[in-house]
Amino acid sequence: MLWELGISIVYVFLFISLYYQVFMLVSFIEAGRRPRTIRLHTHTPDDDLPTTAIIVPCFNEERGIGATIESLQQLNYPADKLEIIIVDDGSTDGTLLTAEGYADDPRIRVFHKENGGKHTAMNYALARTDAAFIGCLDADSVVAPEALRHIVAIFIENEKVAAVTPGILIKKPETMLQHMQHVEYSLSVFNRYTLAALGSAFITPGPFSIFRTSVVREAGGWRHGHSTEDLEMALRIQQQGYLIANAPAATVHTGTPPTLRALIRQRIRWTYGFLRNAVEYRHMFGNAAFGNLGLIILPMALISIGIGIFFFLRILYSASQELLHFFVRYEVLGFEFNPSFDPFYVNTSMLWFLIYVAVALILVLIVFGVGLGTGKRRLPASTPLFVAFYSFLVPLWLIMAVIRAVFKTGVRWR
Amino acid sequence: MHARHDAFLLRHAILAAMSENSQDPIIATRDVRWSTYLIAFLITAFIFATALFASSYFNSRRVADVRATQDEISTDILSLETQFDLLQEHSCTDVAENSILPSALQTLANRLSYMESQGGSSNQAEVTRLKRLYSLLEIKDYLLMKQVAGKCNLKPVFILYFYSNKGDCTDCEKQGYVLTGLSQQYPQLRTYSFDYNLDVSALQTLIAIENIRSDLPALLINGKAYYGFQDQEQIEKILPELKNLEKATSTKETAKQK
Repeated sequence: MLWELGISIVYVFLFISLYYQVFMLVSFIEAGRRPRTIRLHTHTPDDDLPTTAIIVPCFNEERGIGATIESLQQLNYPADKLEIIIVDDGSTDGTLLTAEGYADDPRIRVFHKENGGKHTAMNYALARTDAAFIGCLDADSVVAPEALRHIVAIFIENEKVAAVTPGILIKKPETMLQHMQHVEYSLSVFNRYTLAALGSAFITPGPFSIFRTSVVREAGGWRHGHSTEDLEMALRIQQQGYLIANAPAATVHTGTPPTLRALIRQRIRWTYGFLRNAVEYRHMFGNAAFGNLGLIILPMALISIGIGIFFFLRILYSASQELLHFFVRYEVLGFEFNPSFDPFYVNTSMLWFLIYVAVALILVLIVFGVGLGTGKRRLPASTPLFVAFYSFLVPLWLIMAVIRAVFKTGVRWR
Repeated sequence: MHARHDAFLLRHAILAAMSENSQDPIIATRDVRWSTYLIAFLITAFIFATALFASSYFNSRRVADVRATQDEISTDILSLETQFDLLQEHSCTDVAENSILPSALQTLANRLSYMESQGGSSNQAEVTRLKRLYSLLEIKDYLLMKQVAGKCNLKPVFILYFYSNKGDCTDCEKQGYVLTGLSQQYPQLRTYSFDYNLDVSALQTLIAIENIRSDLPALLINGKAYYGFQDQEQIEKILPELKNLEKATSTKETAKQK
């Protein structure tokens, strides 16, 4: 009886997951078909470009910060309209020394303050600039020279846009885990773009999201946001009725956790932050006043955590049963390797058909993500790895994050 | 023609989406387009319907497959029976050569148990029907082989195995593997496995005649019932005739013999 109920839940969850994937795909196609009344001026004359400040908040980033600052120096943007504000948030290594090495560039200002967290570093810089637009570039990321022009063009076109997110790719993947994340980030490029098309972006990621300074000031600056200030800020902007757009052509390459331990820590922080902020912004969930964001995107983001954990536990249970059968068989018959193939035993249950379709759909979304991010139309070589293993890693941090969110333990950055 | 045109339009739309999207950054709007929700629902429903259709198609193919094998076996048994009736005009060698191979019954049993494990309530009734027929065929083969053995002076070795998969027999899975192992080792051994709870009157009569208790797993060897798990050594002790049977010459066996 309980097992039968479980099977029904599996199908309901599969329907919801598939529906969401199809919904995103249809939205993506519609976004491309939508007639554009506004032509973008990616070649805006220098005189018409607004002043922009890019903050680099950093804590013990002596290894990566040089590359980050150098990529900002190479931005194709008039020197008198670009400020680069480096805020050393109480580093204990050589970060400050490295940053000060770049201080002879008139665009660059370097500050040092006591450690207080990323949001305090951002607010510190916010209080020290008059720029019309303000953005952040994490010290583990590098930005493409044309990225800022792509982003600013959107602000010029639409007054209601309060923030623009970039296209985020991975900086030189090395470990197997980073190769899998490379595929995941391609999928994220697709998602970020389509969410923006639906007016439903709810994260303005640390690597190179740019904001209208007046909106940030009006909102009261950045908050701790349960260690996810980028998510909290996006929700607050959405709550105030502004739009968050996406410019996938504004490319940023970011560093990713090389080890499983670091990855799990990062993702627990993300999921924990989402869950805790979801409680605070619960009035937006299911609320038609927030459009697609309230009706489908936020509820799905929450439900998908439950679905992920449910499927994981169920697979774990089935696998343990299989293993038990295998051991009983092994005990009696010894190890048998029977390579013969009988099509009779190929699993053709409805469940498997749906899983095949879901995987195929994800592959399509990844291809679109790669297309948006790099202009190419092919799957990354590490896609099979991603499909085979990543879905078993994700539930690990989902479960840990849910437990922590329930007990409100808080999370650390490192 | 129409379908091809639709496919062309869809492809065009996707390509347009990809090329436009990669050039123009998105200007977000917040409007809810209900048509998007509806289209996504219809597509998802279509995927589910297709999956359901495909799955039931393959299941019915499987059922048909098993039924065809059963038909074949049942024809073979009938023909053997007829041959047996006409024994005066036939030699015993013919009869022995034409008997059903134990492996044919074994394959059928494996397939049935796989289908049973796959579940699916719509399928279950059909699987039970096939299982009942299979039990009948087993009993029939068993009786016939006993008669043939008597007349033709053959010495077939039988094991009748009674199991339950209602969850009340913890050792049944293990016992099944032991018997599978024995059948692999001695291809001439005739093992007949019966679901103790199956509603087939011939089977229930057999259980009553042989006085098999519901203390499963139970093995009926040479007219005597043995209850509880019996490993290979114990069975070989109970059934010394096993040693006279020809052993399989698989690579595994030769490896074992070495």
